[in-house]
Amino acid sequence: MLLTVTGLTVVYDRAMIINDLSMKVDAGELVSLVGPNGAGKSTTLRAITGLVAWEKEVLRKTTGGDVTLKGAVVFDGERIENVPAHKIVKKGLIHCPERRRPFRELTVLENLMAGAYLLKDKTEIQSNLEKVYRLFPVLHSRAGQVSGTLSGGEQQMLAIGRSLMFRPRLLCIDEPSTGLAPIMRSEVFNKIEEIRGLGITVLLIEQEVSTVFKMASRNYVLSSGKIIAEGPGADLLADEVIRKTYLGL
Amino acid sequence: MIQDIIINGLINGSIYALLAIGFSLIFGVARLVNIAHTAFYMACAYLIHVGFSYWGLSMPLAIVLSIGLTTIIGLICYRLFIKPIREYEAAVLIATIALGMVFQEVMLIAFKGHMMGVPPVATGFVIVGGVKVANQHLLVLGVAVLTLLATWFLLMKTRVGLAIRCTAQDSEIANLMGMNVDREIMIAVIVSVVLAGVAGAIVVPLRVIDPHMWLPPLIMMLAVVVLGGLGSVKGSFVASYILGFTEAAVAIGVPMGSFLKGSVALSIMIIVLLIRPEGLFGIAFEEER
Repeated sequence: MLLTVTGLTVVYDRAMIINDLSMKVDAGELVSLVGPNGAGKSTTLRAITGLVAWEKEVLRKTTGGDVTLKGAVVFDGERIENVPAHKIVKKGLIHCPERRRPFRELTVLENLMAGAYLLKDKTEIQSNLEKVYRLFPVLHSRAGQVSGTLSGGEQQMLAIGRSLMFRPRLLCIDEPSTGLAPIMRSEVFNKIEEIRGLGITVLLIEQEVSTVFKMASRNYVLSSGKIIAEGPGADLLADEVIRKTYLGL
Repeated sequence: MIQDIIINGLINGSIYALLAIGFSLIFGVARLVNIAHTAFYMACAYLIHVGFSYWGLSMPLAIVLSIGLTTIIGLICYRLFIKPIREYEAAVLIATIALGMVFQEVMLIAFKGHMMGVPPVATGFVIVGGVKVANQHLLVLGVAVLTLLATWFLLMKTRVGLAIRCTAQDSEIANLMGMNVDREIMIAVIVSVVLAGVAGAIVVPLRVIDPHMWLPPLIMMLAVVVLGGLGSVKGSFVASYILGFTEAAVAIGVPMGSFLKGSVALSIMIIVLLIRPEGLFGIAFEEER
């Protein structure tokens, strides 16, 4: 197993956001995590990629709120639940954030270079940059443009491209289709398929259940911080209760 | 007269730029409003005075040592007083005001409020465009411009600079890129205090050293930052020269104008706040997460 999460519990002050969550992602898979708004999908991802641990570290020794994180996150045989994000990235567990969040005042190229921050070898940076440009030609033609002026779809391409600049082994993408036009959405999903074709394991968080279930090998359905169902898309859709109550289909 | 205005404007503007860019940088990267910024400028001036007049060090050595010491003091202050409350902007503001006053009182106790001075490094003058310019002023200008260029290079052309700019824009995403936000903030603090130290070092032969010397540049610096846009390094740079030239023009062009210097800065600040509160290059704050 590339990623194993066991009994993950995240509590902010007294609000329990994630409750005893367990999931697994094997190398080469495309796994999805779906569920309604506020189910805790993003928090789960934040806990896996170390943003919750980082928040904990920042807030420690300050008078800020309290974050509790319990359970185990194992990536490639190493416990990482208390490792802050900037150290987890080095292991190849990459988080492509919700709402894209490019560095808006930086150019497209500078954004991509930020993604390659941990690489010191110039030739490797260059070859990764070419790979990203091949996948997203639009980024190449806009390399010098300030990223805040890109369209939503282009910003999503940039966010994904930026996550590919450092050797990704498991790429976690948080809601890539949100806020995009339908044509752009299918384009983004096609690109994610392509990325998987490159041999990169993908953990996809989405609300667009119908498309995702066709792509993913396995799915987890999250509701109120708990995994309430898992399995291939067809099985989940066959279950009347899950389909109506949690997926709204 | 035009030449006078240009030369004085350039010198004043460069000094404001050194101060304001440091202030903006630290605000941009860590959202810290550091009112004590010019207190470090004062600390550096005092240290140079101590090194040169009390310990008999040579001027260049005194300057380099003082900038180094000021930086260390700045880092200690950051670690002890600011970092524990970093997440609370209002508390940081209050803490840095207190810090500035502590510096002022320490100087008052240690040096009894005497006005002191340091002799210039360069003596004599040259004629530039028909105006007598003291060599010390040229030196100030040269050092300031070189320091600003070095800062620009650091921020725009190096890996560390990219990390600082990323952290300034979105610290959480910077963290996801593998950048150690705590370290980037430390680097920004160091750069900021070094810039304040350099400003103190080049100004020290031109001004009187006294425990209240940090207040006038503080007001000018805040006016610059408001005009340029809070957190924008580019804005601070442009606004520094706008204010520098305006100040020189009023001081030289208007009869008895040198009494109006302070009010010009404050008037500009008020006008900007009324008409365009985000400043020339202000960044609109987006809700993070």
